[in-house]
Amino acid sequence: MTEPEQSYELATARLEEIIRRLDSGEAGLRETLDLVKEGRTLVEYCAGELEAVSQGLDEIKLDELIARLEAQSPEGE
Amino acid sequence: MDESPQTPAGIEGSALKGPFAVGAYAEMLREELRGRARLQLFGEIWTLRRSKARVYFELRDARGAVPCAMWTDKFEALGEVGSALSDGAQIVVAGGPDYYPGSKTSSPSFSFDVSDLRIAGEGDLLAQLAALRRQLQGEGLFEPQKLLARPQLPRTIGVITSETGKARDDILAGLERRGWAGKLVWGFAPVQDRQAASAITQALTDLAGTPQVETIIVARGGGSLADLFAFCDETLCRTVAMLRVPVIASVGHHTDQTLIDDVAAESCSTPTHAAEAAVPLDINGERAALRASTGALSRNAGVAVVGRARALAALARVPGTHIARQRRELHQDARELRAAGQRRLLLERERSATAAEVLRRKAVAGAGPDKLARLRTLEGLSIALSAHDPKGVLERGYAIVDDGDGNVITTAAQARAAEDLRLQFADDAVDAKITGSDD
Repeated sequence: MTEPEQSYELATARLEEIIRRLDSGEAGLRETLDLVKEGRTLVEYCAGELEAVSQGLDEIKLDELIARLEAQSPEGE
Repeated sequence: MDESPQTPAGIEGSALKGPFAVGAYAEMLREELRGRARLQLFGEIWTLRRSKARVYFELRDARGAVPCAMWTDKFEALGEVGSALSDGAQIVVAGGPDYYPGSKTSSPSFSFDVSDLRIAGEGDLLAQLAALRRQLQGEGLFEPQKLLARPQLPRTIGVITSETGKARDDILAGLERRGWAGKLVWGFAPVQDRQAASAITQALTDLAGTPQVETIIVARGGGSLADLFAFCDETLCRTVAMLRVPVIASVGHHTDQTLIDDVAAESCSTPTHAAEAAVPLDINGERAALRASTGALSRNAGVAVVGRARALAALARVPGTHIARQRRELHQDARELRAAGQRRLLLERERSATAAEVLRRKAVAGAGPDKLARLRTLEGLSIALSAHDPKGVLERGYAIVDDGDGNVITTAAQARAAEDLRLQFADDAVDAKITGSDD
């Protein structure tokens, strides 16, 4: 069984859902603690995604990328 | 027509002239065809193919067809009109018949030598474009790109544009505005010459085949519709429609939309907008939102734990508070009762004192002037009473006789009968016995 693919938009959508539930004040103590734990995991994931596109612009020409990929590809494959 | 010295004998019995050498005949035929009137033809263009020197196609209609050829330099001079030609397009050609006589080593051919060409049919390039647009739309090719999932935060973006154009700088500016600084793969390609469509198609295919590339931008700064015809190329547009990576196009005008704008996932008016469409999220804004989310989680966690702890503490205090309040109320009640009792006592005491005074005053008033006389009478009566007191009589020498049981003996007969008597003197009693009789 594979886990559903995570994405920034899915993570932020779930995070918003969690905060709405918490802010409603309807969650009990156990649910609140579970939601907070899940929310913090999502925040970490999202922060990682933002960090990945904040490392500084990395520009490469398509020809060079193809050449690099072909060089990496094992011969005969 | 000259006969060659090696001319063979003709067909026996034939009435026709000759035989003649075929090369001479071919040259004569070519000259005859070239001598025919030059004119314009119209029909559908089919099977366009290029060689280094010539461009070949067929002009057809329902009744027949003519093979056509055009010198490449003349075809190139048509500009982007040439790019818009596709099978079935209605065109008008100008020229005349020609014949290539061939040689011992090459085949002859007939063709209509085209010196000029224009797109006909509905009248112009736009009509031709509209027909292709209807065809692609009818095949449902406008939809697939729009149904693709668009990454909100792509790590790698592919860009197809001219290496020297302004679009490149505009894209970088758009990405910087988003705060995006990921990986950019530049697929530089010519965007307006005759090779543009095929070069762009190739770059698209290559970028889409690169696993890291999540979104592709195809950008050009604008230009006349004729200049933009590379982006209306049927093969290019069909390729875009079938890609599994979303393509954001920014090549046309507001007024002259190219076909790639129709088949792409999104069409933008400027390369800057295309860059912003490729990264829909503002990175700095997202960071702020994430900080807010973190704050909300911490706040809720705090409220959940601390708030409930306070509520529990408050609940724990309730019984003690209740008892203390009850005790305070009881003490208050007791104090009020005591105070009320004392007030009533004082009141009653005051009332009693008042009543006693009233009685005393009434008694005094009631006693009045007779008090002295009554005291005197009382004194007289007291004296009289003392005179009758038996104790006084006994002190004077008398005795009381009884039978010992308290029955007073007042006669001699009673004394004789009783025999045993008791004599009560003032100081004590003495028992006595009747021993004789006076009888």
